[in-house]
Amino acid sequence: MSTDTKTPSSLKSRAKSLASSPTRIAILIAGVLIILSFVEKVTGSTDISSPGTSGATLRFAIPLLMAGLGGLWAERAGVINIGLEGMMIVGTWTGAWFGFKHGPLVGFIAAAVFGLLSGLFHAILTVKIGIDQAVSGLAINLIAAGGARYLSGIFFPPVGGDRTVSPPVASFPTFTLPGVSPFLEKIDGKNIFFISNVAGMLNGFTKEMSLVTLLFLFMVPLTSWILWRSKFGLRMRFSGENPMAAESLGINVYRIRYVAVSVSGMLASLGGAYLALVASSVYREGQTAGRGFIGLATVIFGNWKPGGVFAGSMLFGFTDALRVRENKSVMALILVAGIVAAFLAIYFAFKKKWKPAIYAFVVAALALLLNKTVEVIPQEFVTVFPNFATLIVLTFLAQRLTPPAAAGAPYRRGSE
Amino acid sequence: MSNILEISGIEKKYPGVVANRDVSLIVREGTIHAIIGENGAGKSTLMKTLYGLIRPDAGTIKVFGDEVTLKSPQDAIALGIGMVHQHFKLADNATVLENVILGSEPSRFGFIIKYDEAREKLLEIAKTYQLDIDPDERLSNLGVGERQRVEIAKVLYRGAKILILDEPTAVLVPQEVSELFANLRELVKKGLTVLFISHKLDEVLSISDEITVMRQGTTVASLTPAGTTKKMLAELMVGGELPKPIAGHQVVSEKSFLSLKGASYTRHDGREILHNLDLEVHGGEIVGLAGVEGNGQSELIELVMGLLQANVGSVEVLGLDASNTLTRDIRNAGVAYIPQDRQRDGVLMFAPLWENRILGHQFASPMAKGIWVDKHAAIEDSNRVVEEFDVRTPGVNVLVSALSGGNQQKFIVGRELSGDPKLIIAAQPTRGVDVGAQAIIWDHLMRARSRGAAILLISADLEELFSLSDRLAVIYSGSIVSILDPAKTTPEDLGLAMTGANN
Repeated sequence: MSTDTKTPSSLKSRAKSLASSPTRIAILIAGVLIILSFVEKVTGSTDISSPGTSGATLRFAIPLLMAGLGGLWAERAGVINIGLEGMMIVGTWTGAWFGFKHGPLVGFIAAAVFGLLSGLFHAILTVKIGIDQAVSGLAINLIAAGGARYLSGIFFPPVGGDRTVSPPVASFPTFTLPGVSPFLEKIDGKNIFFISNVAGMLNGFTKEMSLVTLLFLFMVPLTSWILWRSKFGLRMRFSGENPMAAESLGINVYRIRYVAVSVSGMLASLGGAYLALVASSVYREGQTAGRGFIGLATVIFGNWKPGGVFAGSMLFGFTDALRVRENKSVMALILVAGIVAAFLAIYFAFKKKWKPAIYAFVVAALALLLNKTVEVIPQEFVTVFPNFATLIVLTFLAQRLTPPAAAGAPYRRGSE
Repeated sequence: MSNILEISGIEKKYPGVVANRDVSLIVREGTIHAIIGENGAGKSTLMKTLYGLIRPDAGTIKVFGDEVTLKSPQDAIALGIGMVHQHFKLADNATVLENVILGSEPSRFGFIIKYDEAREKLLEIAKTYQLDIDPDERLSNLGVGERQRVEIAKVLYRGAKILILDEPTAVLVPQEVSELFANLRELVKKGLTVLFISHKLDEVLSISDEITVMRQGTTVASLTPAGTTKKMLAELMVGGELPKPIAGHQVVSEKSFLSLKGASYTRHDGREILHNLDLEVHGGEIVGLAGVEGNGQSELIELVMGLLQANVGSVEVLGLDASNTLTRDIRNAGVAYIPQDRQRDGVLMFAPLWENRILGHQFASPMAKGIWVDKHAAIEDSNRVVEEFDVRTPGVNVLVSALSGGNQQKFIVGRELSGDPKLIIAAQPTRGVDVGAQAIIWDHLMRARSRGAAILLISADLEELFSLSDRLAVIYSGSIVSILDPAKTTPEDLGLAMTGANN
């Protein structure tokens, strides 16, 4: 019997050590990179670790990251924000229009302001009026999509745009990290096993980087710091975990939710503006392409933690980047996945955990089989991969995920 | 000793109800003062008034001799009044320290929390009042007793001089209760004052220095435990004689109506919740299942109701194999189920009483007529339940949510005992109900026993277990660890068995 009672705590501590030990994660990443280098050497496809791919990954990841952080802010405070997609549309449109009129900096500021307002709108509907959070989010998505189309038809054609496309916007200045990027490029060129591959990737992150990218990346540690170090963050977390508890200690849950959901809208909207002003230089209808929803997925993938959201958006961004690059690299990646799965199978077998070992083995076998038999992977497969990955994560980690306990639940002041 | 708290003439009206009227209370510094009363006697309203959650329509409150107006909990906290809520207001996904300091975080520039300073202060409090808590433990790892200590620490951290504890023992096992009482005595010794709300008369008599009784919204008596008996208190609370439970005659049948043999249940995450469990309940007897919450009681009930399937072993309910029978068929065979979480599993909060009467009986006469439910029969029978079980409601057309918890419970028990079930699974049948309602429910359970029904009683209330049970089965870590005779067992022995001390 005693073993029975001990199980939960040991399980918990194991989950904790797996999730929170930075060295382990670093070792894992290094391991995957070594395998990647090896595969690239064997197959001769160097596209995955090329600066182009990593640069594109970052460019695709940032909008997802911002949407994800937006979702995180709202949900940590207890409000589910399905309206992220609509708030991103607000950002793309206002960013492009004000960017066109007054330059990209004003575009970003406008996107932040209008995003804040769209978040505030969601907050008023859900917190004050008490409308179902999903309904309100859905409404915002519909209003934003319809509103953007309507306004585009009025504003864009007279100034050289189209009913669905804005006139081109001046692009935001970029910079290359002095000293670092050329140095990395040199190493990449030397073709040393592993080291050059890593250098190539890092180069992609530092080369011709937009200041905005850096600023947005900084939102990850900033959000962490706010959540776990600041007074507001503690109160925000309790608003999402147990609003009644927070209120009983004199915390104004409504006000916290107003602030958090407004910030949520601002972040998502800035992610949208990034699409229009940095990743491209034009507003196009349908530009967000469901990224708001993927952003929501990264929140779950990342277990409601900023670092996790970042990892999730990089994964989704990476597959997005592969989509626009060589198909050959996808094959190489499948090989990498196969080898990683094979290692995992051996690892689990050693630990005598047969179930995960078998799963990993099947994945490895499938990947290797795919690599041997298929010439070209259909684009659709690559596109759908991140969604598939989220599904897998949800299935296997659902027990360990710790969503804010009160997220999504309606809350009335003074209720028991 | 001076009067730390003086309340006089407090009145609070809600549309159609007077929650408090002419309430007067004097609490002396450094005492444990108990406030007792039935559900709906106005205890909670009074406490909420004291904590600034409710503003009274009339009356005065004096703290340390000064008249005060309490507009919010902050005002109360500032005056040194702290509340330990019955339903803990804690977040699982946070540490003890975070739960304690929330809302009064020491900070740098009003923004950055000084965690080290907070931790030191909390440890200091823990040491002073001998509270056993670890600041950095996650709440999700704590049991009920520990959570309560966190709640108390929360109040002390805010510098409370007067602690209001709202039915603090409702969720505790005997050992935890004595730990709590030791803590409370320690607090009083250090000069604090404790307001203790309860309707467990034994506890009130053992812990308090003074007792105030409330009935129908007002304070009716103030007395000291010396020379006071349980019977006197109960009659003051009810305002008359208590209905006496009839013992009735008992015929235990040979046949077991419920029989679990070697039943094991493993949850999908691989944790074995029930292990090789044997239990028999015969017709005409009440078997009390005693155990600390979370030792497999819920799963055991769900096995019996066919909601879960045993991995190993057999579960036989009225001759049916429960692992292989629909819950609907189990119920139709004559199984009644009083769920422990009444609002989640027992009723539809936003449906009228008569619709709730149909729940669980929707396939059988008299609630069903062919494929239709019979509204008239349901209304008629709901009226019968309301009458027989003294459910205080304006009518059977009101929503369940409009009833107080105790009245909801009486209605559920009444519904479940309709149609003379053969096997009754009664989980916490009197949780949160007052002595009057408790007597009614006990009486009906005893009557069901007399007519030959088998009853499995799952309860956290030891008094209930001892009063009703013919046999006591103790569940610990998913197994029945002992079967005791209530006549030859003391509460302390039972408490030890429940915490697995015998293993």
